[in-house]
Amino acid sequence: MNTPEDAAPPAVLEAQDVAVHYGGVKAVDGFGLKLEAGRICGILGPNGSGKSTFLAAVTRLVPLTRGRLMLDGEEYHNTPAASLAHRGVARTFQTVRLLPDLTVLENIQLGADLRAGGGGVKQWFRRTAVPEAVEEAIERTGLGAVRSARPGELSYGMARRVEIARALATRPRVLLLDEPTAGMNQAERREVSQLMQKLRDEGLTQLLVEHDVPMMVDTCDRLVAMKSGELVTEGAPAEVVRDPAVQEAYLGKRGRNHA
Amino acid sequence: MSYWYDAHLILIQSTFVSLLLALSIQFPLRMGVFSFAGIGSYGIGAYAAAIMTIRYSWPAFAAIGAGMVVAMVAGYLLALLVSRLDGLYLGMATIAFTLILTVVAINGGSLTGGAQGLYGAISTLQTGQVILVCAVVVVLLALSERGRMGRRIDAVREDPELAVSVGIRVIRMRRMAFVVSGALGACAGGMNALLRTTVSPDDVGFSLVVLALTMIIVGGSRSWAGALIGSVIFTWLPQVLQAVGDWQTVVYGVIVALTAVYVPSGLLGVAQNGYRRMRRRSGPVAGATEKATGSEEPGGDSAPLEPLSEDVPTGGTR
Ligand SMILES: Nc1ncnc2c1ncn2[C@@H]1O[C@H](COP(=O)(O)OP(=O)(O)O)[C@@H](O)[C@H]1O
Ligand SMILES: [Mg+2]
Repeated sequence: MNTPEDAAPPAVLEAQDVAVHYGGVKAVDGFGLKLEAGRICGILGPNGSGKSTFLAAVTRLVPLTRGRLMLDGEEYHNTPAASLAHRGVARTFQTVRLLPDLTVLENIQLGADLRAGGGGVKQWFRRTAVPEAVEEAIERTGLGAVRSARPGELSYGMARRVEIARALATRPRVLLLDEPTAGMNQAERREVSQLMQKLRDEGLTQLLVEHDVPMMVDTCDRLVAMKSGELVTEGAPAEVVRDPAVQEAYLGKRGRNHA
Repeated sequence: MSYWYDAHLILIQSTFVSLLLALSIQFPLRMGVFSFAGIGSYGIGAYAAAIMTIRYSWPAFAAIGAGMVVAMVAGYLLALLVSRLDGLYLGMATIAFTLILTVVAINGGSLTGGAQGLYGAISTLQTGQVILVCAVVVVLLALSERGRMGRRIDAVREDPELAVSVGIRVIRMRRMAFVVSGALGACAGGMNALLRTTVSPDDVGFSLVVLALTMIIVGGSRSWAGALIGSVIFTWLPQVLQAVGDWQTVVYGVIVALTAVYVPSGLLGVAQNGYRRMRRRSGPVAGATEKATGSEEPGGDSAPLEPLSEDVPTGGTR
């Protein structure tokens, strides 16, 4: 389906007909999407529909059973995950994955290390990672006050922000966020949404996986609905949310709760 | 002082050799690589240095260097060979590497001197030079524990998948660990062979696996300082324990078991925790406002954060 806007921006990252099977489990089975430059795309889908697995496939953390992955129109399904990160694709994980012995600052520096350059022997002697990238990430995510805390001392919402900050510190071109606001309160969610929109205005291409439908509608330029590893529908957020198939697959329960 | 030094010269030398040996096991372990290839490299280094010295009269550092090069190449090849293994299986495979080398040493004919080994590897290697080498190694390793390299090594150990997602080439890092381990192990072996002027299959066998592991379990597995503590303790303990005779082994066993159970971070960890506590008492730690439910235990092996609410699903792709 085409977006109603004319002259859609070029696709930075594109996945076509992606399938990831674990033995008999078809976690993803023929799903795909396009991330257009400087836009926010959202994936909506019930738990277990394969969103996280799709993200893992796109970031080369799990092998594809089938499908095509393209970055700037160039296929990358043999590119190692680390190289993909060097090409500007950053992500967060659904579960908080911070290094427990490092401070918040160091966890964020781990992201910025990517841009410090110099592999091999040189990295041995390099102390600090691009400090500007780190400071910018801290400032944007509002983590200044806890920079020297350790992950174990943070609230869940705070820990999630560190995850986002670490990804931002890599100075990505494409940012993939897997349920970044899970466990956050309403105010914190709004902050994340605002941050994403600000980043979009600066030209960052983003993919958001989230359950909070109003937030998705507010934040995303485009939604793709997923169910049982397959694509249900895609398009403008308001339309996708109104789509009967989506209502049934995903919003049905929520709708009844409201009624 | 000088009298004491002379009387204990062998123990002083052994301490530094053991330090390098312990570091050769510890370095890969810091990246989560459970490899004993450093012990095999110790054997390679010892025999190479002895052979080059006896047969070709190479200067000490050239002879040791030759062994290091061979061990680094062997380490790299071994890394390729065992790249699919992890954890316990990797440990077993690398112990096999060490055992195979012992067999080669026994059956190496006149090159390795068979079961008797080699004698008369007389060189100009001085204890001061050994200490200098150790100092350089310690400085390099200390650098690898801080800053960018320190973070990257931590990431490779704690969460390899996260590590690659921030651009760390985990496989390459792990291969490097094998190569560095080979260099350290061979350096230790080479120096020991030249200091003792002799090497035999017994000197490079399985007992070293136990010794190296003991040193870093008791000392601490995360930092060079832990390896130093361990090598000091287990080089000098036999001296102290001479009175108890055959019970030495039992005392060893008890020490290892107690530290493994009660202070898994090793004696270094105990010292660091104590230091942190003192600092905490003397002033509030900056930041750290909202505190999630969790243990008060400072340091230690804090588990990764758990989702707090039920509607936060745990990741399927971990
Ligand atoms: N490593 C795995 N092995 C087997 N099945 C998996 C694995 N990872 C995910 N799955 C299954 O794939 C399906 C999709 O999971 P996931 O991608 O986590 O969904 P979502 O992120 O949309 O909640 C689930 O049924 C899950 O149980
Ligand atoms: Mg998920």
